[in-house]
Amino acid sequence: MLLLSVVRARAGDAAADWAGRAAATESVDAFCNAYTAAPKHVGRAPLALAESELSHLMAAAPDLRCDRWTVDDAARAVLLLSAAQRNDAKGAEAFVRLAIECYERGDAREQQSWLRAISLLPQPDRFTAVAVDACRTNIIPLFEAIACENPYPARHFPERQFNQLVLKALFNSIALARVVGLSTRVNPDLSRMARDYAAERRAAARPVPSDIAMAMIDDARQELTR
Amino acid sequence: MRIFDPHIHMTSRTTDDYEAMAAAGIVAIVEPAFWLGQPRTTVGSFVDYFNSLVGWERFRASQFGIRHFCTMGLNPKESNNPRLTDEVLALLPRFLDKDGVVAIGEIGFDDQTDAEERSFARQVELARDFNLPVLIHTPHRDKKQGTIRSIEVIRSVGFPEERVLIDHNNEETLPIVLASRCWAGHTIYPNTKMDEQRMAALVQKYGSDRIVVNSAADWGISDPLKVPKTIAVMRAHGVPDATIQKIVWDNPVAFFAQSGRLDLTDIDTCAAVDRSQKFETNSVLRGEQVGR
Repeated sequence: MLLLSVVRARAGDAAADWAGRAAATESVDAFCNAYTAAPKHVGRAPLALAESELSHLMAAAPDLRCDRWTVDDAARAVLLLSAAQRNDAKGAEAFVRLAIECYERGDAREQQSWLRAISLLPQPDRFTAVAVDACRTNIIPLFEAIACENPYPARHFPERQFNQLVLKALFNSIALARVVGLSTRVNPDLSRMARDYAAERRAAARPVPSDIAMAMIDDARQELTR
Repeated sequence: MRIFDPHIHMTSRTTDDYEAMAAAGIVAIVEPAFWLGQPRTTVGSFVDYFNSLVGWERFRASQFGIRHFCTMGLNPKESNNPRLTDEVLALLPRFLDKDGVVAIGEIGFDDQTDAEERSFARQVELARDFNLPVLIHTPHRDKKQGTIRSIEVIRSVGFPEERVLIDHNNEETLPIVLASRCWAGHTIYPNTKMDEQRMAALVQKYGSDRIVVNSAADWGISDPLKVPKTIAVMRAHGVPDATIQKIVWDNPVAFFAQSGRLDLTDIDTCAAVDRSQKFETNSVLRGEQVGR
């Protein structure tokens, strides 16, 4: 597995072997404990992919952006992917239960790792409800883990939930350029919401985010500059 | 001037805040049930939270001479958890008849999902059954649309608008609320929502009928003294004291009195606070401190 070799290159053989063994467990508790313990074994350094690693990853997951991933994010992704492969052979339900349990037991940092990796899981639309709910957090790094540098929302969120995500990004001064696939999902309702938000900011004598037009379809953009 | 803060989450505040609020003239508050920043996963968390609103927190406020009332409800954010919604809504009637519960709230919209709308409408029906007013939270995002939809929900249930307080208004939503018969709340925050200067301007433009202001102080960046600070700014803008008093006392009192449970007896002659009093063997005193 590509990500396992990435972890091995950074954290060494012992750590990578630990990840391999931890991923093989049949117990939900042991799995979740390993997920928690990943940074203890592999560290938390930035992943900083080499050119060749990046091109391999791009071939497998073209719109994933790992710039902000750390080594423990990658190790946790390895755990989930291994569990998916093993469990999906016996029946997909077991993996869905395991993955959701792993998310719900996670602290904010574990949930970030989980969200960063979900687009890589088989049949990722099984986790849309969890991802949508994750957007309701007030913990901004957690929100960013799903909203930014992540292809999942543009691919799997229903329109209304995608629109809420974009508006929440604007509301929290998160650059819309970080929302992967935004240009493919702009829609009249999102335009209207962005226009209303601009009006609300102006009425309050507050600055309008300079990139708000990215949330609008062309007609609305022209109106904004008028 | 006596001050009523009709929306403040004291569970998240310290005794220093209570001291400062009392010193600034705040004598009565309403603490709406809301979410705690971290999603709750079991109904038991709500049992304990609701109990603390009518128990420990009310006692704590009393130790600073402040009359504490509360609203009960399932907030919109956590209404997106279907299992929890059913369990919490089934639990609510146990609390709605308690002393000092002066409304259902804060309910309304967050993401404006169908699940939120169902929970919202069911709780408005509960308010009718228990003869309580309703406190509505308007969303941070897509606020104007959320305000319009909130009024539509009230109308679809056929709930009397004069028993509804729609909160967190801004320049865009206030005219919409005033065009209904609902009351309009304004949350004065350090960075978001509304600020003191803008609030004074809104009062000069729209007057004081059905208008209230609050601090909504909670676990985020907020200020429990925003109501007295807004009074100071309104005065500086030349708003007459009679108008100010209507906004920070008469209006919230009139609104929540519709519950029939807003007991303000002896509010002016509030007895000296005895901090050696106890709530289930606990007092707000620590160690060597001496009660006043």
